[in-house]
Amino acid sequence: MSSNAAAGTIDHHFDPTTTTGIPNKKLLMWAFLASDCMFFGCLISTHLIYRLHPPPGTPQARQVFSIELTSFSTFILLMSSLMMALAVNAIQKGNLKNMRWSLLTTIFFGCIFLGCQVYEFRNFVYESHLTITNSILGTTFFTLTGTHGLHVLIGVIWLSGMLLYSFTGRLTEKQAIDVESMGLYWHFVDIVWIVIFTAVYLLEYI
Amino acid sequence: MSASASAAHDTGHQLEQNKFWIFVQIAMLLAVITGLELVTVYMPFVRWLLFSVLVVLSTVKFLFVIFYFMHLRWDRLFCTILFFIGLVLAGGTMWALLKLFGANASKPLTMAMMEPPAAAMRAV
Repeated sequence: MSSNAAAGTIDHHFDPTTTTGIPNKKLLMWAFLASDCMFFGCLISTHLIYRLHPPPGTPQARQVFSIELTSFSTFILLMSSLMMALAVNAIQKGNLKNMRWSLLTTIFFGCIFLGCQVYEFRNFVYESHLTITNSILGTTFFTLTGTHGLHVLIGVIWLSGMLLYSFTGRLTEKQAIDVESMGLYWHFVDIVWIVIFTAVYLLEYI
Repeated sequence: MSASASAAHDTGHQLEQNKFWIFVQIAMLLAVITGLELVTVYMPFVRWLLFSVLVVLSTVKFLFVIFYFMHLRWDRLFCTILFFIGLVLAGGTMWALLKLFGANASKPLTMAMMEPPAAAMRAV
């Protein structure tokens, strides 16, 4: 790997200036994601606990959820993850133009996902009368998916900022670690949704 | 030495080129697995089997994303260890909570359980 550095190319998986060999920004992001795992683990646990023995009068989740819409938004988020990976791949090769297009597509898909979430929440509140306060299902569901949606929103804002920053001329292959760290956050949001999709939605249908 | 350095550089370059197609293929695979999950919930099989299939499919998707999209496959092992520490702690906490609140004693009381027996009321 160090021979690549000697040849003038950047090794994006090894930083010789740190004791671990891992760039500090990447290490920080992984540590943060490990902590966020525990955060979402608790929220998912809380939802599942109250689904084990639902109190009397709890709405039937199967009659409230729309699995088709949720499957579509899951697919959209997976594709946004692909575009994010391609954006990181592009900047690591110094291809700024491809990185910008991939980032723009990621932002677009992220906004579609958020739009689906907003539509779903409105449907639940106004059509199915499921709110965050009128039942334990509503409380745990909206807290969990709302927190995830907030993470997606933060990600979209961050991606937009990075896209704008790429036009200043200061984002080059040497700063690829910044895009990669942001990519790690976005992929984490995706893997959390993979778990939520199964644990919250699909399990209600079996 | 220079020949081996050149070979290592070529291998690294080839890997970078191949990553594009690796990512695309994995994304297609993830989409297919999502479709399989959607079909699975409508299968007329026993609940424990459907649950196991869903867990396995989700785990496969999860691992593909973290090892390929998040680059754990190509990064230092310490990143994997660090992330899995949080993952194991989260999983352990989930398991413990589900075991604790899955017990019969954790079932919420119903009105019938809370009302005293009629005979006891008459005796009073």
